[in-house]
Amino acid sequence: MGLQGLSTLGSPRQPLPAASARLSDGRVAEPVKRFIYSMAVTLPLVALVTLCLVGVKLVVDLQHISSAYLIPVMIAAVWFGMTPAILVAVGGVASSAFFFYEPIYDFRVADPAQLLDLPLFVVVATVTSQLAARARSHAVLAQKREGEIRTLYAFSKRLAVATNADDIYSAIRDHVSSMTGCRVVHWASEETPGPDDAVPPSVRLAAMQIPTIDPPGGGWLLRPISAVHPEFGVLAIEIGKVAGSARQSVRQRIDAVLADASATLERLDIGRAIGEAKLRSEAETLREALIGSVSHDLRTPLASIIGSASVLLQAPALMNEPRLAGLAGVISEEAQRLNTDIQNLLDATRISAKSVSAHLAWTDAADIINAALDRHRNHLAPRQFITEIAPDLPLVRVDAMLTERALLQIIHNAIKFSPEQSTIRIQASPMREAVVIAISDEGKGFEFEEKDRIFDRFYRGSRHRGTTTGSGLGLWIARAFLAASGGRVDATRTDGTTVTVWLPAPPLSESETQGLSDE
Amino acid sequence: MNKPPVSVLVVDDEIQIRRFLRAGFELEGFAVHEAASAAEGIRLATLKTVNLVILDLALPDTDGASVVERLRSWSGVPIIVLSVRSSEDEKVRLLELGADDYVVKPFGMAELLARGRAALRRQTSTAAGDPVVRVGPLTIDLADRKATIDNVRVQLTPKEFRLLQALAQHAGNVVTHQQLLKEVWGLPHEHDAHYLRIFVRKLRHKIERDPSRPRILRTELGVGYRLSYDPTD
Repeated sequence: MGLQGLSTLGSPRQPLPAASARLSDGRVAEPVKRFIYSMAVTLPLVALVTLCLVGVKLVVDLQHISSAYLIPVMIAAVWFGMTPAILVAVGGVASSAFFFYEPIYDFRVADPAQLLDLPLFVVVATVTSQLAARARSHAVLAQKREGEIRTLYAFSKRLAVATNADDIYSAIRDHVSSMTGCRVVHWASEETPGPDDAVPPSVRLAAMQIPTIDPPGGGWLLRPISAVHPEFGVLAIEIGKVAGSARQSVRQRIDAVLADASATLERLDIGRAIGEAKLRSEAETLREALIGSVSHDLRTPLASIIGSASVLLQAPALMNEPRLAGLAGVISEEAQRLNTDIQNLLDATRISAKSVSAHLAWTDAADIINAALDRHRNHLAPRQFITEIAPDLPLVRVDAMLTERALLQIIHNAIKFSPEQSTIRIQASPMREAVVIAISDEGKGFEFEEKDRIFDRFYRGSRHRGTTTGSGLGLWIARAFLAASGGRVDATRTDGTTVTVWLPAPPLSESETQGLSDE
Repeated sequence: MNKPPVSVLVVDDEIQIRRFLRAGFELEGFAVHEAASAAEGIRLATLKTVNLVILDLALPDTDGASVVERLRSWSGVPIIVLSVRSSEDEKVRLLELGADDYVVKPFGMAELLARGRAALRRQTSTAAGDPVVRVGPLTIDLADRKATIDNVRVQLTPKEFRLLQALAQHAGNVVTHQQLLKEVWGLPHEHDAHYLRIFVRKLRHKIERDPSRPRILRTELGVGYRLSYDPTD
């Protein structure tokens, strides 16, 4: 009776799945690599056990020595699974037959009872490997669940903070993308994807169909996010050029992910969330429109009030009546103030609507400072104003109007928060491709902790809230307008407050300096 | 002999604005005609003797720009526009179309009167062929090509004088960057605003007492420059 055939069968030099080991592209498939690796680890173990047993046998004569081979069998079963374990079992049985059972150095065995080793080993290999595989798959599953829960948690957290439909869609897109590892494009059915979400025209065309079908040519997969809620839109997943069966499995995985995702979306009540987000953004638009139209409606009568007051102030009848002329002055002043407040509201609306666009042009910074000062002409006294403008200031490249409005706000603040009879100093000096304008007052200044907040929208210094009126918009507008022009602003605590403005002053290019010679 | 009053045509759809403009102009001895729409304004401008037009840009029937164009097609009457818009481009466009100056709503009567008077003065002095323009302490003799400050001759380079000349021809009214660039450097340099900045600075050093706080050659931010002197400054 021979075990020769079995032994050859288990020979590691002829791995069983050799025929399928190579794919068309020449790379060795992952399971084959694993198999070779398992053999490389376990067969030396069999050899080691054999060596040990030979050593032991020299000292003591042991019966049923072959059971020692259960050790490599179990190791192979736990680490590498059934096939390597069975091969190791066969190797172990063959080794004991060859080395330890009569006749020695021959695969034949004299005692048929010793043949029982083989089925015993195979059973051990099978059962152990099954148990190990089950334990392993449980562990993998638990790990996968944990990962999914983590991404799901991140996903729902993003949904919870989403303020508009776009946030929600991009959360969905990122979620599906992270679960499939593919590029994902999403669009709500009535829109087309944006320029950076470029998809081939065939995909776009296919996405417009209802029910959604996959575009021809492969590479892309189209799925509505939800079968019941078409308003969630369609996902296009670029699965890439994958061949045959692999493509099918990728497809199934994506379908599974999408099924999960759509269930999650319904559970999280995305429909309502999108609706609410839309409502919020509409409310914002409405608010902006309201401010815009109210401001306009308020300005028209203001123009009449200011104009009429100015006529009264010049009327000869009133010139001889200083008290009445004073009243006309009050009307004019207060109307001007109201006009400034409305202008600030309009500016704030422009900033939040992100419709501030800068028209950059070469400008003399001194002109901007003078324009801002001229607008405050009636409010400068009794404070003393000192302007120190360096004679060699380079030209700045900014939006003159936006910069003027920014300086206006800063000067206004300096006037508002400094005592009468104090000095406000405006200094302009050149500094490496910039013009620096410093506006210093002798007011109470701000607290150190407030430094980062005084340029915030609606922020008003704690010590001024009770004593001065204001909206807290001024410095916020100043910063936004300067930023639009490529400038910036900072505040430091000096004797009072010094607000420093940087305006970009790039050097004139060679072509720009050509016409400057004076004949 | 009784000189006929200067007559002004106010075109604005807001009755309250027309009311205070009428009061303001009549106090200063002007005769006032009112129009509530562009069509009526153009009709009155053809029927009546009008020396000055005050034109609101936001009219119900047509936009102000086309009114300026229509008026300019047959009349050189000075036009001052009332603009609510803060858009500098819009103002520049109207000035290029032939408006003489602008004021931004809300405005005071004194400001509008100063602009209107400057435009009227330019027309009469052009008609009379008077070559001397006076702006505060500055005197520019366009015929002799010389400028004096408090009767002291100012040495100007040819380009500086051309710049001053272009401003002096419209003394009291704004001249846009483009107009100045075209007149001094020629059409190809219409958009090289930095030339203008640098030459204005040079010119101010020669004619202003404090060049960093100009009192004669004033900047209209985003639009152009204006030669005007306010003794109360």
